[in-house]
Amino acid sequence: MRKRPGLAGLQAAAANRDQFRSLGEDVAKARTDLMKEQLSVFRTQLEEFARKHKNDIRKNPAFRAQFHAMCQKIGVDPLASNKGFWAELLGIGDFYYELGVQIVDVCLATRPHNGGLMDLEELRGHLMKRRRVSREAITEDDCIRAISKLKALGSGFEIFTVGNRRLVRSVPTELNKDHNQIIEAAQSEGYVTAEDIVNRFSWRRGRVVDALETLMKDGLVMVDDGHPDGKRRYWFPCVNTMDVDPDESAGTAT
Amino acid sequence: MEQFKMPYFYNYPPYFTLQPVKDTREKQIQLWKELILKYCKHYKVFVINLDEDFPLFVNSAIERKLSHEARELFLGALIAEGKAEWLDKAHRKCLILWRSVTDWANLILEFVKEYGFEEGVMTLEEIRTGDETRGTDLAGIDKTVLVRALKILEQKGKAAMFKGTAADDEGVKFSA
Repeated sequence: MRKRPGLAGLQAAAANRDQFRSLGEDVAKARTDLMKEQLSVFRTQLEEFARKHKNDIRKNPAFRAQFHAMCQKIGVDPLASNKGFWAELLGIGDFYYELGVQIVDVCLATRPHNGGLMDLEELRGHLMKRRRVSREAITEDDCIRAISKLKALGSGFEIFTVGNRRLVRSVPTELNKDHNQIIEAAQSEGYVTAEDIVNRFSWRRGRVVDALETLMKDGLVMVDDGHPDGKRRYWFPCVNTMDVDPDESAGTAT
Repeated sequence: MEQFKMPYFYNYPPYFTLQPVKDTREKQIQLWKELILKYCKHYKVFVINLDEDFPLFVNSAIERKLSHEARELFLGALIAEGKAEWLDKAHRKCLILWRSVTDWANLILEFVKEYGFEEGVMTLEEIRTGDETRGTDLAGIDKTVLVRALKILEQKGKAAMFKGTAADDEGVKFSA
C-alpha cells in the first residue's frame, strides 16, 4: 500500500528546505563577506597605492600608462567620473580635464594657421611647452585620452591616422578618401603639386584639382606660386612641423 | 643692433603668395601687417621704397619674395589703419608709422622735459642726429615724422618752428 503524504512528511520536507536555505544563505553571506573584505582590502591598497604614487602618476608618463593598463585589467575607468574616489584621490581626472582644456586652447590658437588640422606630435610639442613650468611630461597616449574625453562635448574633436602620422581635427570638416590620400602624399615634403598627385595616384587632373580646391577652401591648404620652377605648390600646414608659437598666433588672431 | 627674430610664417613659402581664399588671405595680411610694423620699429625704418628691394620682402633662404601686388596690398592694409601713408602719388614710397605721430609728439615732450630743454632751442638736425638725443628713441627719427610731431606740439603751444638762414637749417623753440 502506497504511503500517503502525511503531515509529518510535509513538515520534514519543509524543515529540509529551510535547512538548505539557511545553509545556502550562510554560504552566500560568507562569500559576500569575503568579497566585501577583499574589496575593502583592494580599495585600501589601491588608495594607498594611489596616495603613494600620486605624484608619479601625474609626472611620469610611463607610470601613468602602466596605471591605465592596470585599471583596464580590473575593469575600472579612472576617467569615467570626476566625482568618484578615483578622481578625488588621484586627481587623475583633473589631469586629463586640464590637458583637454589646453588641447582646445592650442587647437583654437593655431586654427587660423592650420585650418583646424594638426599633427598630434606637433600638438604634444605645444602642450609640453605650455606645461614646462609644472614639468609634467605628457605622451601622445595622454593626448589621445584627453581628446577622447573631449568627444563627449560633441565639439568635433577627433584623431585620425593618415599615412604614418596621427592628425587631430578640431573642426567638423568632412575629409574624404581623396583628401586623406593627398594629405598623406604631402607628408614627406609638406607640400604637393597637382602633377605629383596625378602621377602618384593616376587620377584625372580634374579630380586632383577638385580635391585640392576643397582643401583650400577649408583652410587646410595654402598655395605657393613662388618657386623658381613656376609650378604651384600646395602646402599643408597640418603636416608641417613648423615652429608655430601658439601664443603668437593667438595674439594675432584677434 | 640685435638681429630681428623673424616669426614662424616668414619661413613658410605660401605666405609669400597671395592666398586666394578669403579667410586665409585675411590672416595672411594680418600677419604681414604686424611683421612690417615690428620689423620697421626694430630697425627704425621709416620709409619703404617699393622701387628698391626691401630686405623684409625677400627671403632668399627659401627663395621666395613678395610680388608687387602683395607688397602694395599689405602696405595698403596698413594705410587703411592709419599706420602708414604713401609719400608720393605713384605709390612707390611708403611712410611707416610704427609709432603714431601723436605718440612721437609725446615722446619729444618727454625728452624735452627730461633733458631740460623746456625753453630750449634745437635744430631739427640736432634732434635727429645730435648728441642730445643719442641713445634715445628720437635718434634717427624721420624728418617728415618729426615735422608733423612738432606741428602737433605747435598747436598745443608747446613749440614753435622757425626757418634758419640756410634751407636745411630749420629749428624749433620749445616752451613746454
